[in-house]
Amino acid sequence: MAKTMEQLMDLIDKIPDEPAKVGEFILPELMAIQIAHQVRDDDVVFAGTGLPMVGIMTANFINAPHALLIYEAGICDGKTMHVPMSVCDQRAANMCTSIGGLVDTFGFYLQQGFVSLGFLGGAAIDKYGGVNVTSIGDYYKPSHRFTGSGGNSDIGTMAKRVAYIILQEKRRFLERNEYTTTPGWWCWDFKTNEWKPKKEVWKGTPFAESGPEAVVTNMGNYKFDKNGEIYLESFHPGVTVEQIKENCGFNLNVKNVKGETKKPTYRELFVLREFVDAELIFLPQKVEYPASLKKLIEG
Amino acid sequence: MFKRGATKKAQIMSLEDAVKTYIKDGMMVAFGGFTGFNRNPSSVAWQMVRQGNKNIHCIDRHGGICTWLLNSVGALSVYETDWMGWGEMAGKLDVNMERTYKAGKMVLEDYSHGAMAMRFLAGAIGAPFIPYYAPQGSDLYNPKYDALGKAGKRDGKNVKIPRKKFMEMADPFFNTGNVILLPAARCDVAVIHATQCGQKGTARWRGVGTIDKEICFAADKVIVVAEEIVAESELRKMPESNQIPYFVVDAIVENPWGAYPSAVPFYYDYDAPFMRGMDAASRNPEDMKKWLDEWVFSPKSWEEMMTKVGAKRLLDLKADSTTGYSTRILRGKKPAPRMTVPLSVARSGY
Repeated sequence: MAKTMEQLMDLIDKIPDEPAKVGEFILPELMAIQIAHQVRDDDVVFAGTGLPMVGIMTANFINAPHALLIYEAGICDGKTMHVPMSVCDQRAANMCTSIGGLVDTFGFYLQQGFVSLGFLGGAAIDKYGGVNVTSIGDYYKPSHRFTGSGGNSDIGTMAKRVAYIILQEKRRFLERNEYTTTPGWWCWDFKTNEWKPKKEVWKGTPFAESGPEAVVTNMGNYKFDKNGEIYLESFHPGVTVEQIKENCGFNLNVKNVKGETKKPTYRELFVLREFVDAELIFLPQKVEYPASLKKLIEG
Repeated sequence: MFKRGATKKAQIMSLEDAVKTYIKDGMMVAFGGFTGFNRNPSSVAWQMVRQGNKNIHCIDRHGGICTWLLNSVGALSVYETDWMGWGEMAGKLDVNMERTYKAGKMVLEDYSHGAMAMRFLAGAIGAPFIPYYAPQGSDLYNPKYDALGKAGKRDGKNVKIPRKKFMEMADPFFNTGNVILLPAARCDVAVIHATQCGQKGTARWRGVGTIDKEICFAADKVIVVAEEIVAESELRKMPESNQIPYFVVDAIVENPWGAYPSAVPFYYDYDAPFMRGMDAASRNPEDMKKWLDEWVFSPKSWEEMMTKVGAKRLLDLKADSTTGYSTRILRGKKPAPRMTVPLSVARSGY
């Protein structure tokens, strides 16, 4: 007979916290867990819909159980049981400390300075972490039009640290975005028409030092240097640095690569599969556990 | 500014009469709820499409079922928003709206989510504008990108359209760098979907508030659609649960399941499979037309449309009384696990 969720919960600590082997996990799982690793236990996290939400939920179940999650539509510190499909989902509001609206989340929490980590998606990113989720081509006559900012530009500039998850392609990793929805460490100063460090444009505001800290893609993990420029930190299993450079639209700094991205552990995968996305909404399929683990879980 | 000294007397009306009376072509309309998932006043937009409303200037925190429906018949001429998606994980971008926009049939003004919330807050509290650390260096505040200005709509003829998209200024009080002044958002009509509404207009909901209260106070006319109309005396026993005081409401419409396919927490869940069907239909004009014929123009009433959705589906969507959502609807490829406590609580307490 299948185990109850409570029995599965009791199993978590018995599942080995050792890296899984290549072939025992799929890319979306690896990425969700990379997101989870960005979250600290004392973080106040404001995340967008999609993989960021799955990742921070995973963190909340493993490495950061005390992290406080804010969901855009008005939810503060939800204790989620079933993965939400939207940041307004009642599932995200389960057992939350208080519930309000957008003025609460963007005003009371974000602009007031409580948010320590923002986790967002993007259609394209520039060398300094500036993100485009608006349009490609002429702004008024675009070849592609995306959804537009949503909370991206608010969260991406006012959260203390910001992390992005982006699909890596040459046309998405750019020297300069055609449209900057969310400025990175360098941006335009429209008053003087100069390309400047964000610290100067935002000088004096409480958010001059806030900005992108990490980027997770399907090929690797990235960080930013003192000049605000992105660099490769690690490459995902099965990907080479050469391939990453080929999928980048500018001359990428690969001098600080630490090595291969840490593979997810069996325990992390177990939590992700059984508790975060058991309904297979975000993950495309249920991956088989290796035989010994299967016996432990089902036995 | 528009209603000094005036309170209103709300009237209980049919869906048809409320739309006919309060929504006219060319008006600025704001819809409540959040994306396509939570308390969208779907039935009102559905009725607007049936009644042939045109040239609507929608001002909103983001798209949802209502903008998807209105755009499906080309009824939106201006869309002032921060997100032209509609369905998040059930179909993120409104592909049909992208088509409309790229064909030059719609003016699209971009803001950010926080900025639209602040604009409506200003509109709601009667302030002409509000300062916000809206992202400097973002093309949202690039003086070249002002769609309403470019379309010649900032000439003051429509008193609800601000003469500027934004203004940047140095904080004159605390010397904290530059802030962006955002104009108040004001609209002709606000439409929200509540759970309960008293016969005079006092209204409440459960779950997220998004900016429903703000849009009601920022609008000249307010339509509240509710799952049920109840006695005001009942709602006044727990006034802290009410969000809308009766004196701002103009029309009350009782329409059970009126937010479908979005959710009404503690009443019913969102119908993700149905939304995926909408997304698929919107990918080409032929399918879109078929979908509209089937789901909007053929049914004689909202009741008949819900009957068409079917009893089995509605039973599956009915919310659990304790969680406020349904654990019986199949959202992904596997059924929802039976949970009794969130894992984060089991691992760490509160």
